[in-house]
Amino acid sequence: MIPTAYFLVLSAVLFVMGTVGFLVKKDLITQFMCVEVMLNAANLAFIAFAHSASSLNGQIIVFFIITVAAAEAAVGLAIILLVYKQRKTVKSEDISLMKG
Amino acid sequence: MNNIWTLLPIVFVLTGSLLVLLLEVFIQRETKDYLGFVSLMFLVLSGAACVTFWNKGYSYFNGDLFLDKLALFLSLLFIIGTALIILISMKYLSLQNTNYGEYYSLLLFALIGTLIMVSSTDLIIIFLGLEVLSMSSYALAGLKRNDEKSGEAALKYFLLGSFASAFLIYGIAFLYGTSKSTEIFSIIDHFQAVSSQSILVIAGFGLLIIGFGFKIAVVPFHMWTPDVYQGSPTPITAFFSVLPKAAGFAVLLRLFGPYFGQITQSQNIFMVLWFLSVLTMVAGNLLALRQKNIKRLLAYSSIAHAGYLMIAVLAKSHYSLVFYLTVYLFMNIGAFSAVIALSKKDKEYLQLKDYAGIGFRYPWIGATLSIFLLSLAGFPPTGGFLAKFYVFSEAVSQDLVPLVVIGVLASLISVFYYLRVIVYMYMREPSTPFEIDTNNAPLVLVLFICLYGVIQLGIYPGNVLLFIKQAVASLPF
Repeated sequence: MIPTAYFLVLSAVLFVMGTVGFLVKKDLITQFMCVEVMLNAANLAFIAFAHSASSLNGQIIVFFIITVAAAEAAVGLAIILLVYKQRKTVKSEDISLMKG
Repeated sequence: MNNIWTLLPIVFVLTGSLLVLLLEVFIQRETKDYLGFVSLMFLVLSGAACVTFWNKGYSYFNGDLFLDKLALFLSLLFIIGTALIILISMKYLSLQNTNYGEYYSLLLFALIGTLIMVSSTDLIIIFLGLEVLSMSSYALAGLKRNDEKSGEAALKYFLLGSFASAFLIYGIAFLYGTSKSTEIFSIIDHFQAVSSQSILVIAGFGLLIIGFGFKIAVVPFHMWTPDVYQGSPTPITAFFSVLPKAAGFAVLLRLFGPYFGQITQSQNIFMVLWFLSVLTMVAGNLLALRQKNIKRLLAYSSIAHAGYLMIAVLAKSHYSLVFYLTVYLFMNIGAFSAVIALSKKDKEYLQLKDYAGIGFRYPWIGATLSIFLLSLAGFPPTGGFLAKFYVFSEAVSQDLVPLVVIGVLASLISVFYYLRVIVYMYMREPSTPFEIDTNNAPLVLVLFICLYGVIQLGIYPGNVLLFIKQAVASLPF
């Protein structure tokens, strides 16, 4: 059996990758995908903890998070589309009407 | 124990928002205000349900969703806040060509999110409530579809908001991993039982603070606030500045109250929150000094207020936190209503220089805005003064004197930029006089309600304070 710590390390790596990707990438779609990676890192952590404690709660929570991620994708992609229609760009550095 | 009536306040709001969505199809673009009245009706029903449940203590889903007095008080406060926002929106939406029916529906969905957040102690349910609130907020921010700034606001809010949610849920995962539960009190009980706190716990609480820090806009997680506030439709800005922040602080109250109260090794987290509070007060007020746009100015002012509210969390003073939130709701919505009053067809006047001479040309707007700004700055006899007074005096009694000194100095800085708006209104010559649309009865009503709230809470807060003390007495610590 694979130790729980392995899963946790993998989930931490995924989470950090998502965070760094969000901060360094300039493309809105990529940034959005990085957030999805972070949510999935949390999913993996929940499943690993649930498995090690043999409690079902954590596994059920994962379904809620998947639902939230789906809803987030629906709203988020619509907003990115709106901005693309207004500006004809999906680069985050071009979207800076407001500053200060 | 399980009582299905617990769901009634939420069900009323939900019915209202679905009905609005349904009726939206059949109503002409010019008469969408009727949907506002429909939503108001359901808000009244929901508020009435909250009032009648005051002494009942209902709970449902095996206690996962409950209506203790704190939940009921805050729910009622949020329902009043949303009702005020709907009243100030009606005319604004048709003036700014944003009168879509979804507006009211999304606003009610966002309200449901806050209602869920304040009536649970399970972190997952709180997270789901927060997401309901956030999703609706992202859409609301971008509702001015023909305005590029509104789209940009929605985008920034969405990106940073979902980024913060990921931190929040990862933090909850860590707390679940160490304590095998997502319920706040089981988590606290677990930490009491084990003597030392592992790195997972510290990381979990740290991630949780980052997640909530974004939502309630504390420095250094505040970057999105001014842009989102500036770009969103103004009534929505008023909504953002009050409800999500108040709901976030309600959760912090439920979470950190017992944590600081019962766990001896909570010192690290306490220090983190201490520094965040100082940073928020100082940076918020300093950055507000150089703002030329009234919405950005109020954005930074709301950041600074999050710092003062944080003092109340640190002082474990529940009643002063809830009282502050109550006053803050009236004075902030009031200030934004006065800003909305200065608009006409397809035009809003938001620059500071537009306010020159307003005090003489529109004396009522000038006077009310001045009172709200003085209350935000904390002058007696307004509610803002008493709110700050309670928070600071409670903090002194908890030996947080350095924090209070910084808080008082920070609010001295804030007096400068609030008074500058008043100086513009009364002591500058107007550069180019403009006409505004003055035929807006609901907005005048809101101005008077907020004025009444601010003055009443400042001069005679006794009966409201009594309810608040009853409400926080229901907290089990």
